Amino acid sequence: MSSLFDRIGGQVAVDTAVEIFYRKVLSDDRINGFFDGVDMEQQVNKQKGFLTMAFGGPNNYTSKDMRDGHKHLVARGLNDSHVDAVIELLGNTLQELEVATEDIQSVADIANSVRDDILNR
Amino acid sequence: MTHIIFNDKHIDLEEQQTVLSALLEQGHQIPNSCRAGVCQTCMMQALEGNVPAKAQEGLKDTLKAQGYFLACSCMPQEPLHVRTVDVNMLRSPATVIEHELFAEGVLHLRLKPSEAFDYRAGQYITLWKDSVLGRNYSLASVVELDDSIALHIRRIPDGVISNWLHDEIKVGDTVDIQAATGNCFYLPGSPEQNMLLAGTGTGLAPLIGIARDALRQGHEGDIHLLHGARQIDDLYLHDTLMNMAQEHPQFHYHANVLQAENITPPISKNPLMQQISEVAAEPADWRFYLCGDAPIVNTMKRNLFIAGASMTNIYSDPFVSANDV
Ligand SMILES: Cc1cc2nc3c(=O)[nH]c(=O)nc-3n(C[C@H](O)[C@H](O)[C@H](O)COP(=O)(O)OP(=O)(O)OC[C@H]3O[C@@H](n4cnc5c(N)ncnc54)[C@H](O)[C@@H]3O)c2cc1C
Ligand code: HEM
Repeated sequence: MSSLFDRIGGQVAVDTAVEIFYRKVLSDDRINGFFDGVDMEQQVNKQKGFLTMAFGGPNNYTSKDMRDGHKHLVARGLNDSHVDAVIELLGNTLQELEVATEDIQSVADIANSVRDDILNR
Repeated sequence: MTHIIFNDKHIDLEEQQTVLSALLEQGHQIPNSCRAGVCQTCMMQALEGNVPAKAQEGLKDTLKAQGYFLACSCMPQEPLHVRTVDVNMLRSPATVIEHELFAEGVLHLRLKPSEAFDYRAGQYITLWKDSVLGRNYSLASVVELDDSIALHIRRIPDGVISNWLHDEIKVGDTVDIQAATGNCFYLPGSPEQNMLLAGTGTGLAPLIGIARDALRQGHEGDIHLLHGARQIDDLYLHDTLMNMAQEHPQFHYHANVLQAENITPPISKNPLMQQISEVAAEPADWRFYLCGDAPIVNTMKRNLFIAGASMTNIYSDPFVSANDV
């Protein structure tokens, strides 16, 4: 059976999803404050990294990268509710792209598996 | 922690410290301006060691290959041997052939480069006052149409370079300029796409260059140019743009002025952002060029993206200065 990443559509899916997802993030008052003042072009690339990882694709991020990358956000109050919101928006994005429900669940599971790293616990 | 070698001296870098900040801390005079990897004034050269890719973003391949990098964006992971660049390699003189006010506080400067100077309308050059003080200015001219380069320079209160250009420089003087750079220019693909160009103040400089370049290259879609200003007197290219609109049916000019009375179209008191959403009501298919004051450019960019514009269709040049960062 093909991998989750391939079923979702691989790199092409990441490129398609990234703008839809990032648009949702910036429109969502629960979390958009964390993205203020960051360069949008650079952000789009980082979000591609995020999506590739969440879609189960090839990436080189370590647990330490995830901790270091979100430390400054935890200091600004990042908590479980924000991770939930991100996972919700990710789900909505994939629904719009007509990804199968089980695959959306697998993506949520991957995102959840790094929750403690993201929140530096 | 790692270190750099500069003038045969070993200088330690703190965690997350840039080469620029370490050198300035040691009292070295390194040219710099935006400190955000945009203006390229802090270009240096690596003689030995690995330059992080981020420190070479936006540089021409030929410069990258020679180890040039931007000191403000360089946080090396391992020892790096660096030196300042030979300024004559990067800069060339240009003669001032026109020096006139467009309007109160906005200078029209025309320069004749001493040697062939290639660029794309909308890119920016670095203009140097001396060996360390340089600032970016956008090209309002079109290389294929104009035989000199045109800059629009707004006087900034207490601004070192802008006041020098306004008050001391005169026709016949020579100034040093450095190669054009930046990604905010017209590309001929998708000629039928509608375009919206918006900016405040001298953000108009790159925009008029881009608009003329698009017309020159046979762009077929509509081209809307929006100039945001505080008052009527700040609309320093009003007549030129009115004429362009008359000459080219596809070109539309909108002036959005905060304080105004007895105005008639294309001047309105519509806030710039609102005007943008009215003109490009469905931004998904449009191409955008946004220039000028950094906070305004960044707000326009974010709002347009949220409204459905694609990042790949948004070109922008925020006029950042060191204090914005
Ligand atoms: C890519 C790019 C393109 C640019 N193109 C143009 C252009 O076409 N025309 C043009 O006029 N300028 C342009 N600028 C801005 C220009 O490079 C200088 O920042 C500006 O002229 C001020 O320089 P200065 O030496 O006079 O002021 P400085 O001595 O650097 O600054 C003096 C004070 O003014 C503040 N300041 C600096 N710039 C501004 C500003 N824009 N608004 C309000 N306060 C400010 C500073 O923070 C500082 O406190 C561009 C900048 C960038 C990055
Ligand atoms: C749910 C699990 C999450 C995963 C797997 C994840 C993953 C990532 C990845 C891979 C990057 C890119 C790092 C890089 O390339 O530099 C990143 C950056 C970022 N993430 Fe997350 N993230 C998660 C949750 C969140 C949440 C909940 C927020 C805030 C609401 C958030 C905000 C950010 C921001 C702001 C950046 C960019 C930081 C910067 O500017 O450098 N992330 N994340």
